[in-house]
Amino acid sequence: MDPWFDASADRIRLTPRMISIDAVSRPGILHDVSFEARPGRVTGFLGPNGAGKTSTVRILLGLDRASSGTALIRNQPYASWPRPLTVVGALLDGSGSHRSRSARAHLRWMATSNGLSRSRVDEVLAIVGLAGEAGKRAGKFSLGMSRRLGLAAALLGDPPVLVLDEPINGLDPAGIRWMRTFLRQCAAEGRTVLLSSHLMNELASTADDVVVIDRGRVVARGTVTEVTAGHDTLEDAFMSLTGEPSEAAW
Amino acid sequence: MSRHLVVAELRKLLGLPTAWAGLVFGLIAAPALVFVNAPALRRAAETGQLVNAADVGYQNLGIGLLGALILGVVAVSSEYTSTGDDSPGARQLTSTLLAMPARHRLLAAKGAALVLVVAVQGALTALVTLWLTGLLMPDYAPPFSAVRVGAAVLYWVLLALLAYSVTLIFRNGIITLTVFIVNSSVVSVSYLLTKLTPAAAYLPDIVGAHMFLRSQPADITIPPVTAGLTMTAWVTALLALAAYLFHRRPA
Repeated sequence: MDPWFDASADRIRLTPRMISIDAVSRPGILHDVSFEARPGRVTGFLGPNGAGKTSTVRILLGLDRASSGTALIRNQPYASWPRPLTVVGALLDGSGSHRSRSARAHLRWMATSNGLSRSRVDEVLAIVGLAGEAGKRAGKFSLGMSRRLGLAAALLGDPPVLVLDEPINGLDPAGIRWMRTFLRQCAAEGRTVLLSSHLMNELASTADDVVVIDRGRVVARGTVTEVTAGHDTLEDAFMSLTGEPSEAAW
Repeated sequence: MSRHLVVAELRKLLGLPTAWAGLVFGLIAAPALVFVNAPALRRAAETGQLVNAADVGYQNLGIGLLGALILGVVAVSSEYTSTGDDSPGARQLTSTLLAMPARHRLLAAKGAALVLVVAVQGALTALVTLWLTGLLMPDYAPPFSAVRVGAAVLYWVLLALLAYSVTLIFRNGIITLTVFIVNSSVVSVSYLLTKLTPAAAYLPDIVGAHMFLRSQPADITIPPVTAGLTMTAWVTALLALAAYLFHRRPA
């Protein structure tokens, strides 16, 4: 058995912290948020819309600032990595490309900025299934294709850490299934995957560990089994932790 | 500043259709104006009414600065436009900062890419414009001056950087471009202000022209070096403010 899949508490404590968020606060949005993500595991960051997931992810990636606390990747702030795409691959809202640029042109400038080879651009386009659409303008992409282009950018530097904010939003069932398999495969390769979502059932079938955030505070964290303990499903556990009626979470 | 970042920013800028619109406009507008203005200038010269003989040819360079302005604006505004209707809040800037998170280095690389493109565009335009002037009006064209051509190119580069910094401050290309185009082609507010106070001749958008033109509509003479230093000071101050805001604001 792959040691990374041993979900025992001892094993988790022994593995290095690739992502560490420590007492991060931002007035009115985040309050003392702390959690970690470790290699070989998919960590689900779960919470209703507006709970603070995207804010936390953006602070981790150096896009926004925390008023206090630290958010580190391999013990360094994101902005201090000279070639960050080789350390962290991030997928946020949208395709990430200017709408008049082709998928290939978008990935090429990103690759150039981090000293990556041109051939890697074609490799990642093939991985996400966009090889046939490489010359198409990003503005003409469907929502699902935009997500794939965003993922291709995240994979450019073959990074050991992936940070994905609501990656399955807008994907069709086949796309969701593809994403789930892909993320499990990334974890199996030893990568650290942090995956934020408000879709509990989706996380329950993809994540190893779960961090639940509600109104800017972490209300639970542990393995899926630990967080679900005492409830029938992760969704039930979530409702009980957050006191949200189920529609509000969706 | 790493070479990778500058090349990446060059790729980004030259991959935008609007940047090419600015490049092409900047390259052809001034030479085209030589043809348009030549008959009237020749007539004026023949009847002894040519007052600004030293600026024949050089005067046409003014219109090409719109190309430099467009380039300065789109280098920044392209970062802030929405990536698609599906996700109106998403912008290219996120990808840019994920790839190049050190903000001061990013701004330096972006500025360097812009300067390179505008300098090449300005030099080509000035040379073609002056060559055409010599061809069409051999008796009236002033002698070629590398210093004046250099000053005109510097003017274009500084204007592009001015547009770059102002767009970075407002984070919106439409406002900046409208103001710059109206001010430089329809009604120059800065020029109208010179009617109220001569000090307005030192405003950033018009002072630079004194670097390479010998006559000015406002009848205020500012030595070329003073004009260059004044414009450089304006651009430096605005760039510093833009960099400060860019560093502080969330992406």
